[in-house]
Amino acid sequence: MENLNRLSSEQITKDLLPQKFGRRGLIWTGILAAICLVGLFAYYRQLKYGLVVTHMRDYASWGIYISNFVFFVAISLVGSLITAIFRLTNVHWATPLTRIAEIIAVSAIVFASLIIIVDMGRPERFLNLLIHGRIQSPIMWDVIVISTYFCISLLLLYMPLLPDLKILLQFKEKSGKWLNKLYRFQGSFWKGTAEQFKISERGITILCVTIIPVAFSIHTVTSWLFATTYRPGWDSTNFGAYFISGAFLVGAGGVVVAMYVFRKYYHLEKYITELHFDRMGKLVVMLSLLYLYFNINEFMTPVFKMKKSEASHLTDLFTGDFAFMFWAAIIGGLIIPIIVLLFKKGRRPLPMFIIGVMVVIGAWFKRYLIVTPTLLNPFLPMQEVPASYHVYFPSWEEWAIAMGSLAGCLLVITFFARIYPIIPIQETITEQNEKH
Amino acid sequence: MKNTNKIFIALIAAVLAIPFAALSQDSTKKELVLSVNYYMNSNKAIYVIANAKTKVAKKFTPVSGINISLFLDNDSSLIGKLTTDKDGLAKAIIPPSLKAAWDLSPKHSFKAVSEASKEFDATDAEASITKSRISVDTLADADARTVIAKVESFDGANWVPVKDVEMKLGVSRSAGAVLSAGDEATYTTDSTGTATAEFKKANLPGDEKGNIVLTAKVEENEALGNLIAEKIVPWGTAVKSDNSFFDQRTLWSTRFRTPFWLLFMAYSIVLGVWGTIIYLVIQIIKIKRIGTKGGTVLS
Repeated sequence: MENLNRLSSEQITKDLLPQKFGRRGLIWTGILAAICLVGLFAYYRQLKYGLVVTHMRDYASWGIYISNFVFFVAISLVGSLITAIFRLTNVHWATPLTRIAEIIAVSAIVFASLIIIVDMGRPERFLNLLIHGRIQSPIMWDVIVISTYFCISLLLLYMPLLPDLKILLQFKEKSGKWLNKLYRFQGSFWKGTAEQFKISERGITILCVTIIPVAFSIHTVTSWLFATTYRPGWDSTNFGAYFISGAFLVGAGGVVVAMYVFRKYYHLEKYITELHFDRMGKLVVMLSLLYLYFNINEFMTPVFKMKKSEASHLTDLFTGDFAFMFWAAIIGGLIIPIIVLLFKKGRRPLPMFIIGVMVVIGAWFKRYLIVTPTLLNPFLPMQEVPASYHVYFPSWEEWAIAMGSLAGCLLVITFFARIYPIIPIQETITEQNEKH
Repeated sequence: MKNTNKIFIALIAAVLAIPFAALSQDSTKKELVLSVNYYMNSNKAIYVIANAKTKVAKKFTPVSGINISLFLDNDSSLIGKLTTDKDGLAKAIIPPSLKAAWDLSPKHSFKAVSEASKEFDATDAEASITKSRISVDTLADADARTVIAKVESFDGANWVPVKDVEMKLGVSRSAGAVLSAGDEATYTTDSTGTATAEFKKANLPGDEKGNIVLTAKVEENEALGNLIAEKIVPWGTAVKSDNSFFDQRTLWSTRFRTPFWLLFMAYSIVLGVWGTIIYLVIQIIKIKRIGTKGGTVLS
């Protein structure tokens, strides 16, 4: 934030106040809302006709919904990385990115919960998990840890927002009647007293300490949903670390994309500088290398042994039906980002944005590759089943619901950016005052 | 004018092509292999099963959704109209309305007629049988146990023994399989209609009382169809299922038998984390109270 040297508190406040949607903003919101509506219609059809409208059958009983769920859980981990880990280690350059990371975390975890209910087919049966759930089941652990993570993320979003709500309430004319009501409801009690700051700071520190193990748990438990079942490709002790490293990478990729978009759309060049992109670029390289290491661990040893029971799954991934997707995800989502971001020019905003998009898309397909090929290569051969059971390609309803959930997640982030400052105003002012 | 000619020629060509298209469509129809079989279970349940299959990549594959009419003796005695299931099978019990026709003769024929569909032409299949019965009994002495099966057919007035009937004779296993009682895979009836097998399968697991089910099974006999008879005998080893682990606290037990260590760990973590969340909510309430009271405002 070296560029902030000459900026007054008033200027920072003016720059960072939420802005009304322009034409591009309205078009963007309209497109997302339309995708969500198509997804809702597809879900209505699924509720009406049952899960038969999907292409999930006896073997591929987990499809694009579960891939999407794992993706959402993965991207939500970024909240703990950018906000908690950086805050606790006094990494101040990441301050403008904390709220972006937290809102990505909250919206992703909301849609992770929703998509798992979509996958259940009969949503009312979710209650059975609470009524008849067994604490021995990793599915129960996942339910507990997701709801916990959601609450902590929400608190971590809310507590640092309190001082900003006070600032927002000073601009009643700009905000409008309804937003003012919302701000008053959420933060009219924040006066900025020393005692309030003290309690708030301590609360945020406690949250940061708490969210790290919970974030690790959420994705480790999600990985255990797979690893505790005996199937080719999932029967791995590496899965917890493999999932977490991948989650940090996709989360960082998501933040890079959001940084670029918000910076460009809201003209935040003075706050999200090239330095931020440079440092995030280095972080993405480190996380990519880490994830690559766990990928090599995950595939190297089974390939070396090539056990008969695992061979068909591995062949499917490396040279078979899923080979194109697999190599595209590895090369496009891992290798190319490492190579490009090693160079300083590659860590400039536009290349970083493109790489961020590649990382996120690669990560989405990687989740699909974790879920589906395994189910289509069971230990016992598929016999006497209809030919359609041997393959899985999502139906249009599945695509619509999955894309609708992704659009919904983006819509939540978009509305948040419309209502609240996407860069913490008070923290930015305080940090500048501390510097000078 | 040139365009009109072109359209006219195209129309003529299209009209002429229709019969060829229809012919070519017919020629793409696959061959449906239909069969019909008669079954009698324990001399009581009598039913007929039609089986529809076709060759795909040199292998027979069941065909579902084929509409089939089943007849007894002639086309006027309809047993039932059925549709083949996913295994290509359609099963019908001979209805009470055909009892008179059934009792009339010791020999009967069954006919299955399939309807034509988009994929298959109409076809039919027939099977003839002589009314027969089968029984299974045992002989036991100090030295050996013997299983005896007897097959008889009805000649219109009396039940007469049937010789040279091949059958499986042994112990009923899961999915309709028969574990042979002796060393032979199958046994054949003699002139008295009797097949005999020495029971050599000692220590077979039975139910809680040691009961096993002896079975005599005639399969796809040209004259008799499919016959089966069963008898329960206490020749097995009593097996009492071990349910003791139901009371143990394991990872695979019911939710009421969760291991204590897991309960302790799970609830400690949940209480620890949720305790922190509740504490933080209380802190927010505290911030709210301070805000309503007022205090020194930091710039």
